[in-house]
Amino acid sequence: MNRSKLLEINDLTVEYRTDDEIVYAVNSLNLSLHSGESLGLVGETGAGKSTTALSILQLVADPPGRITSGEILFEGEDLLKAKKDFLRHIRGNKISMIFQDPMTSLNPVYSVGDQIAEVIYLHEKCSKTEAQQKAADMLEMVGIPKDRYDEFPHQFSGGMKQRVVIAMSIACSPKLILADEPTTALDVTIQAQVLELMNDLKVKLNTSLLLITHDLGVVAQVCDRVAIMYAGEIVEIGTVEEVFEHPKHPYTVGLFRSIPALDEKVDRLKPIKGQMPDPTDLPSGCKFHPRCPYMNEVCTKMKPAMTNVAGTHIVNCLIHEGKLDSTEFMEEVNYVR
Amino acid sequence: MSDNILEVKNLKKHFKSKNGTLHAVDDVSFSIKRGQTLGLVGESGCGKSTIGRLILGLHQATSGEILFNGQDICKMNKKQIHDLRKDLQIIFQDPFASLNPRMSIGEIIGEPLLIYKKVKRAELDSEVRRLMDVVGLSKRFINSYPHELDGGRRQRVGIARALSLNPQFIVCDEPVSSLDVSIQAQVLNLLKDLQAEYGLTYLFITHDLSVVKYFSDKIAVMYLGQLVEIAESDELFKKTVHPYTQALLSAIPAPNIRQKMQRVKLIGELTSPIDPEPGCRFAKRCLYSQAQCIGQDLELKEFGNSHFCSCCRADELLNTTISK
Repeated sequence: MNRSKLLEINDLTVEYRTDDEIVYAVNSLNLSLHSGESLGLVGETGAGKSTTALSILQLVADPPGRITSGEILFEGEDLLKAKKDFLRHIRGNKISMIFQDPMTSLNPVYSVGDQIAEVIYLHEKCSKTEAQQKAADMLEMVGIPKDRYDEFPHQFSGGMKQRVVIAMSIACSPKLILADEPTTALDVTIQAQVLELMNDLKVKLNTSLLLITHDLGVVAQVCDRVAIMYAGEIVEIGTVEEVFEHPKHPYTVGLFRSIPALDEKVDRLKPIKGQMPDPTDLPSGCKFHPRCPYMNEVCTKMKPAMTNVAGTHIVNCLIHEGKLDSTEFMEEVNYVR
Repeated sequence: MSDNILEVKNLKKHFKSKNGTLHAVDDVSFSIKRGQTLGLVGESGCGKSTIGRLILGLHQATSGEILFNGQDICKMNKKQIHDLRKDLQIIFQDPFASLNPRMSIGEIIGEPLLIYKKVKRAELDSEVRRLMDVVGLSKRFINSYPHELDGGRRQRVGIARALSLNPQFIVCDEPVSSLDVSIQAQVLNLLKDLQAEYGLTYLFITHDLSVVKYFSDKIAVMYLGQLVEIAESDELFKKTVHPYTQALLSAIPAPNIRQKMQRVKLIGELTSPIDPEPGCRFAKRCLYSQAQCIGQDLELKEFGNSHFCSCCRADELLNTTISK
């Protein structure tokens, strides 16, 4: 694929400092996204997914949050060094964000149409009437009739509200959309409608999408590539084919086994043992080792490096680095799916 | 004693509201066999939690019967309901809101034991420790407070509390919805183990169909207060009859890239449960609806293997378009 890199995150580290402890939310994260591509960022609560997205738009609350190192290149420009004016120009215009909860991300005292028009008016040099006209078109685009322009958020259902948020996020034809759990608060049938809408728009507008979710099913339906996050790091990244068909990291394998399948009969799930590590006191070496069934002494001391296993498939595990011999795991991995 | 530990007959619960009567549960009937699990599925606002609360006597039913071991819960007075709770417990959805932040884990688990005088004070501590052991909670948490625990552990506290009186029946109201997938699987396995060990019967309320298939013997699907389909779990997935169930099943994004969503489309959005028209409430969103769907009362019809469905066109649909 010879597409230009739209977004490149290098060595990003984000911490939240409180009086007596430091939460290590994102640890030396590397990630890149090509234009027109959609990447799923998957992980459990506290893995650092949302912090990563907020860092891109410089929305991490400071204090307590702090980006301590790294660079975020958007179209070649480092956003971490950018001036406030430039960021204001980018936000909502070239990069827009869809938040998880549509109930709280809309302003209850403005009509939905005017909230969409505001984005357009601010970023595009046009008159208020033109902005309103375009906002009405946007509503139609996400499947809401124009005549509901003057209605208020409380008059819409959850799925409709999320459509309004989506309309707002695409209003200025952004290059990149950051969607933070856009369908988690919705019912399945409504979720399916919203996912379909996002898929259509992706094709129509050729925008890139960074989709944050904990639902592997959603990723399978929407994304081209997927990155699995654990304790502030990416542990596995590749195309959806690579990761879903041949998961290589013990954590990814564990995640797939934790989901009850619909098409086969399972008597017992094989969950990952233990809990997420405490982000103020992360384990040494590989951060997954306390929960890993294949861990060895070396895992407690040595930090794994990103290893390319096939094509664009990269895994962060000592077994694949050849630092640790685990025929047992390799057999398991080759057997899965 | 009959085979069914719980029988719900023509249960109705209407709430009065400013804009009219909200039909939360309308004419729902089902039964649960001892030691089995019934999964109750539906989207938000379809009345599944209301049914759970009615069974526990937390709401007064508008009409209908709930027979628990042959006794009607709807006709019980406060004292009887109090006694009933020994056998009938609930695990709530949100382990953050359902634990008293001012009580320690030990106190939370021990409280029912004291209220029902099940153990002497001197034995309380050892009984609480035993319960913590049963649900896989480390005993060092006995003096901790809920805010010190993560979601998975808190849910284990809720389970230990529900188990403390050795109940026969537990209503699980979305017990794993707020948990991460890896933790969710741990809790589901725990609930399954406990069922095998103590012969528990569960009413498992959830919106997550993959969880319900894994967990339940029988599944009941609800739509806006009405029961639309009920069948053995495998049967329901193999031979889905009701158009709503089909739409619901097809909307689940499968974590499998070879299996793209083939969605059965629905028209519009959830309609209001306030003063609904008689007849099938799904008709307005259904692709197969006809004039006959509206107006007449719903009736569950059997399609073999104790598979019941309320769709009045089910016969035709089974024979033509939908048969898989």
